[in-house]
Amino acid sequence: MSTIRILGLFDDFDAAAHSIREVRDGHFPALKMDDVTIKSPIEHPDVEELLGDRPAPIRKYTFAGSILGGVLGFLFLASSQGNFFAQHKGGKPIIPLPPDLVLTYELLILGGVYITVLGFLICAGLPARMRSDLYNIKISEDQIGVMVKSDAHTVAEIKKIFERHHALSIAEEVIE
Amino acid sequence: MSITRMFRDWDKYRKASPSGDLEKDHPDYKWAMAIDLDICTGCNACVVACYAENNVPTVGKDRFEHGQTMHWLRIERYWNEADAETPHRGAQFMPMMCQQCAAAPCETVCPVGATNQTPDGLNSQVYNRCIGSRYCSANCPYKVRYFNWYDYPEQEVAWPEPLPMQLNPDLTVRSKGIMEKCTFCIQRLRAAQSTARTEGRLVRDGEVLPACAQSCPSGAIVFGNLADPYSQVAKLWRQQQVELHKDKQDKDKTGDNGGVRGYRILEELRAYPSVLYLERVRDTKA
Amino acid sequence: MPDFTKGEEKDIRDTIAWAQINGDVLRSLSKPRFAFWALFTFALCLFSIGVACEVYQWRRGLGVANFDNPHVWGLYISTFIFWIGMSHSGTLLSAILHIIHADWRKPIYRFAEAMTTFSLMTAGLFVLIHLGRLWKFYYSLPYPSERMLWPNFQSPLLWDAIAIFTYLTSSILFLYVGAIPDFAICRDNATGWRKHFYSMLSLGWMGTDRQWRSFRVTYLTIACFLIPLAVSVHSIVASDFAMSQQPGWHVTSFPPYFVAGALYSGCAAIITLFIVLRYTFRFEEYMTMPILDKVGRLTFAIAMVWTYLNFVEYASVWYGDDMYAKDLLIQKATGPYSPFWWGMNFCGSVVPLLLLSKSVRGSPTAMMIVSLLLNLGMWLERWMIVAPTFSHGYYPWTMDHDQWPGFVQWGIVLGSFGWFGLLFMLFCKLVPSVSMYEVKEMVYHRTLAQRHAREA
Repeated sequence: MSTIRILGLFDDFDAAAHSIREVRDGHFPALKMDDVTIKSPIEHPDVEELLGDRPAPIRKYTFAGSILGGVLGFLFLASSQGNFFAQHKGGKPIIPLPPDLVLTYELLILGGVYITVLGFLICAGLPARMRSDLYNIKISEDQIGVMVKSDAHTVAEIKKIFERHHALSIAEEVIE
Repeated sequence: MSITRMFRDWDKYRKASPSGDLEKDHPDYKWAMAIDLDICTGCNACVVACYAENNVPTVGKDRFEHGQTMHWLRIERYWNEADAETPHRGAQFMPMMCQQCAAAPCETVCPVGATNQTPDGLNSQVYNRCIGSRYCSANCPYKVRYFNWYDYPEQEVAWPEPLPMQLNPDLTVRSKGIMEKCTFCIQRLRAAQSTARTEGRLVRDGEVLPACAQSCPSGAIVFGNLADPYSQVAKLWRQQQVELHKDKQDKDKTGDNGGVRGYRILEELRAYPSVLYLERVRDTKA
Repeated sequence: MPDFTKGEEKDIRDTIAWAQINGDVLRSLSKPRFAFWALFTFALCLFSIGVACEVYQWRRGLGVANFDNPHVWGLYISTFIFWIGMSHSGTLLSAILHIIHADWRKPIYRFAEAMTTFSLMTAGLFVLIHLGRLWKFYYSLPYPSERMLWPNFQSPLLWDAIAIFTYLTSSILFLYVGAIPDFAICRDNATGWRKHFYSMLSLGWMGTDRQWRSFRVTYLTIACFLIPLAVSVHSIVASDFAMSQQPGWHVTSFPPYFVAGALYSGCAAIITLFIVLRYTFRFEEYMTMPILDKVGRLTFAIAMVWTYLNFVEYASVWYGDDMYAKDLLIQKATGPYSPFWWGMNFCGSVVPLLLLSKSVRGSPTAMMIVSLLLNLGMWLERWMIVAPTFSHGYYPWTMDHDQWPGFVQWGIVLGSFGWFGLLFMLFCKLVPSVSMYEVKEMVYHRTLAQRHAREA
């Protein structure tokens, strides 16, 4: 049985939200809610909530990144100081804690930011190849797209829902 | 492995210096000076000797006027307020060079670690490592660090012919963009130390002198090993009741400076300089 | 032009269509006013002067810039602090105002954030230009070598280097991540090489809910990182001075004073660039006068914080009664630097009082003049921190009150403005300098709020 993607474009978030709600409450046996995607020019947390709970574990990356940055940073600083000219500078200890803490703080932020961005790329699935997915340039302008992936029968039903909610345009694509 | 070594020596790395225990900080050598300003005649022989010994470039009249002169050792002249009308009657002279501070303000701020405390208590300057950020000079209270604003070895004025023939082969000439300063004639110290080491002894008092002390006709500059209690310089420091690791000497608490003349310049900044000056301090406001 | 002295004006016209936002902003990438090219040429000229001076200085040595023994730093370090300081307001607008939900920032934060990035790049240039042996600058990087040579991590200059590196790369990432949805808009509308360029930059962004959700969290997280980072960066720059022991520098209040000064000069620069962009790219619809009014008020508040900290510094030196520091303060007010010192106090503390007037805040010309004066004051402030300490330090024999920066120094300072201008204008030509998706959000939320108000 072939899988089909369908993308409906709507004029505003309300129409998109209504159609998503109807798709969700339609109880199609072949449809998983995870296969429903919104594509929008701006973020809209309320409409996203209709799709159910989809966690983005970026904060875990952030946490790991800053801890790594801080710990590795301090070890790096202290071990290089302990090996480089074990001579006093300005009468200060060879591994002076106050400056090392200042630098550890900076490296903590450095690790945190870098790994957060890495986490963002992983969680958002970027960089992505555009060719593999239904898209319309109107999405980046002012229209809200709802994309559903399912079998031919369900997609036909969903198409009716889209039309009922005055979708501006509907596109379909057979995947396999 | 570096981290293991770091943890093994953690205790050692966490101590600061000068600790107050000269024996422990400097078991063999701690080079120091004592300069008697009452003996100094301001003849500038030390300055000339320093220029000759250390390949210090002369910069020419124009650059001297711009304040870009390189004198590692300078004779400063000060007049008493009472003599303001008759400056020709004579000034007070003060030979000023790098004070080889035990906790030198210049060392901590160097971004590349080009200036460090050596085991024999000198403030070293590694020319090859210097990138010329000039932070050391900015943080030096005595302003005794000199920067190569131009490429002096290439300049006509620095060593006109046949002066290149008299350059000292024991040390390098410095290129543009690096910091330099008095080293207590480290090339002489190193030679003497290595001779002594070959012979299985320590350097004897008076065996090695920097160019300035050697050429001082009145003997105002006394140089030696402070870690050797019998050296002349150690005796002078003891006699003047000045201790290396203190930022306020006990004798100064008595009110009349203990009846002795010894003082160190800007001692309260806690740089712990290694040069002792002998002169009664008369400015009571300071 | 509406009259802003009466009643509440809207930050942005909320009936503006989303497609029009796209169109207006995208047009700025292709057809700016003639003024853009005039400014671009001007910046290029300034930059060439700087390059010429640097080449001369590289070949001859730093002596040509007229440094001498006490005056080992000069305009390079003062201007370095100036540019670092300027970078801070981008973060103020994009991060601090983001987490406190001040949505009037949305049309103007993009160029402010770009200002952050480019002024940091300009500042970084000064660190290099200032070095005596620029060709050995890599000695100060912590790279592994077989001789186990490392930089000296105790040096505040190293803290600077690491803090600025962190700040610069984080700002670039923040700017970039925040611009990905806009790059996607550009990609969808571009042709030719621009299509490839924006396709690469947009990373295949399609505005899916998954992307938006990750985006939201990431943006907030980096914003939260950037705020303490920005504060620490300028505190560390202040530490270059406060950690040394020279009179006039060894002041405990320097870090907050520097941070306030940084936000202050940054806000003034934002006003300047605001007016320039508004004119050259015809952004009257987005960079509206009510927003300028808000930036003006913000600048006034920060100016007063700076004034307060400035007086705290004077008072602590005066009543602290340290002989050297007090001498220096008197020297600043009466010596050869006094015109600049008083000029700095005038521009920094008196000129911002003009911002109290509504008619000044409502006039682009007046705001332009005020912002330039404020920036002049803040540049003088940095110079008055650096130079007088060298001229009047601890050691009387080396006091030198007459040193004046040479033409090479002035040339390179001018060149840095050219360099910043070039980078900034190239940016505005290649990247939408108004955040399209966020203006849409702003318009959308305003419309929603109105609808709710009507229903209730």
